Amino acid sequence: MGRNSAHWFALPAVGLLGLFLLYPFLDVLRFSTWDWTGLSEPEVIGLENYHNILRDPDFYNSLRITLIFGVMTLIPFVIFSILLALALDGQPYERPLKALLFLPGLVTLGGATVAWYTLFSPEYGALASVFPIPRWDQSPFWALVLIMLFTIWRHIGYGVLVVSARLKSIPKTLLEAAAVDGATAAQAFRHITLPLLRPAITFLVVIGTVLSLQSYTAVFLLTRGGPFGGTEVLGYFLYKTGFEVGRLGYAAALTVIILVLTLAFALAQARLLREEK
Amino acid sequence: MRWLGHIFVWTVAFLVALPFIWMAYAAFIPPEVVFSGDIFGQLGFSLANFEVLGRDGFWEGFWGRLLFSVLLTGTVTLLQLTTGFLAAYAIKEGARLLPFFLVLLAIPVELLLVPLYGLLLGLNILDSIWALVLPFAASPFIVFLLFQGMRTVPEELLEAARLDGAGHRILLTRILLPLLRPQLIAAGVLAFAAHWNLVLYPRIMAGSDELKTVQTWITDLQRQNPADWGPLSAAALAATLPLIIIFLLYERRIVETFEEGLKG
Repeated sequence: MGRNSAHWFALPAVGLLGLFLLYPFLDVLRFSTWDWTGLSEPEVIGLENYHNILRDPDFYNSLRITLIFGVMTLIPFVIFSILLALALDGQPYERPLKALLFLPGLVTLGGATVAWYTLFSPEYGALASVFPIPRWDQSPFWALVLIMLFTIWRHIGYGVLVVSARLKSIPKTLLEAAAVDGATAAQAFRHITLPLLRPAITFLVVIGTVLSLQSYTAVFLLTRGGPFGGTEVLGYFLYKTGFEVGRLGYAAALTVIILVLTLAFALAQARLLREEK
Repeated sequence: MRWLGHIFVWTVAFLVALPFIWMAYAAFIPPEVVFSGDIFGQLGFSLANFEVLGRDGFWEGFWGRLLFSVLLTGTVTLLQLTTGFLAAYAIKEGARLLPFFLVLLAIPVELLLVPLYGLLLGLNILDSIWALVLPFAASPFIVFLLFQGMRTVPEELLEAARLDGAGHRILLTRILLPLLRPQLIAAGVLAFAAHWNLVLYPRIMAGSDELKTVQTWITDLQRQNPADWGPLSAAALAATLPLIIIFLLYERRIVETFEEGLKG
């Protein structure tokens, strides 16, 4: 029996992924040139969808919200990941607490948002009877803060794991040598630990960017884009235009634009990574 | 300095755990306590919230949807592990497909709702069980995870078995399957959680009542009765508990597999 016969075992995965991942990924270009509601006969309209998106104030508003949300989420996500990984390192409770931090990322999303909603609802939430909750149902800013907290809550365990894996690869002798040379803990951290953590931090920035671009499920479950469209991140704008308003051709063109933006961002970050090496 | 670290960690841990603690507490609050508004003043224990969940009949109600989701996501997980295991074996045996899977790994699936809708419409499987199964029957992430596991299996072991006349079937089932158990468990839990947590996809592609997942069921209930905490929390708890139990059982393996993957 030839060894090459084993290659056929890849066929199911390759076939399924080719049809349900690669093909739609390329096919979206074709849909983006259609005027199409999903029910109607599609009509080919060339680049008109792109033309309209670039003149759509809702698109720019959504882009702005996405950028604000991205920065708002990314900075505390990175800082908390580092601080928690440092504080946990070598503690007797390191393992159980890491498991606890990891848990929110796996549990039922709809169940988690129910718990958040009943806790934090400003009108009849459980915490509202203990102290006043900012009116995130009326203020777009506080609504974004809520989505941000939820997103960080879900992914902080992964962030801590990333930093912690890197932290463990730093030889202890390096820090001991610094201590022998009279460096304080703060100096050792500033000049040894932090520079060695940089690849992990860059990785966290990339992951965090992708996660905040994909956070629109939390938007759907907690605020539905409101109040006053204040939490309509690009992903949610895409869902709404395509499947609530029913402009699928327009949404396809929007998909292409978001994919290009994501790709450009990823390439820029990959270049940053390479420069560091 | 050290005690500051302890306080910081335990404060964060408490805040992270708070929604879970609340979920478990609220699920057993007697309905009359919720309506009185004074939820922390009087303690009570009641199973009334769970009884409410079954009132729509079994299949249309919560428990039927929970069972449906467990079976559906369980099937998808098994399919993903099977296709991934076979593909990882093919790569280990020299098929030059790793770059293909790595490229696919970079495609953000969450953004492909529109073209997937078009594809499923064209295949005529929109609003059928196939729409919930087929697009998830293989995952580049699982292929990658299992291949990383297979890389650690020494080639001599497989070579020796081959000299003894073992075919692919024996190699896969008798040698690689037991050796890759930890990776398969970790990959299985992650695959299960990923499919279980689809929210918008099933709503769009398979919206009819008999295909409703537990996720959609809870979201609908929340939309209809946002102030009716008791049953909402009971549903949230019952739908979350299976995942928490699976995670706690295999927590060490999952965290370790992740850390291994991060080193590579």
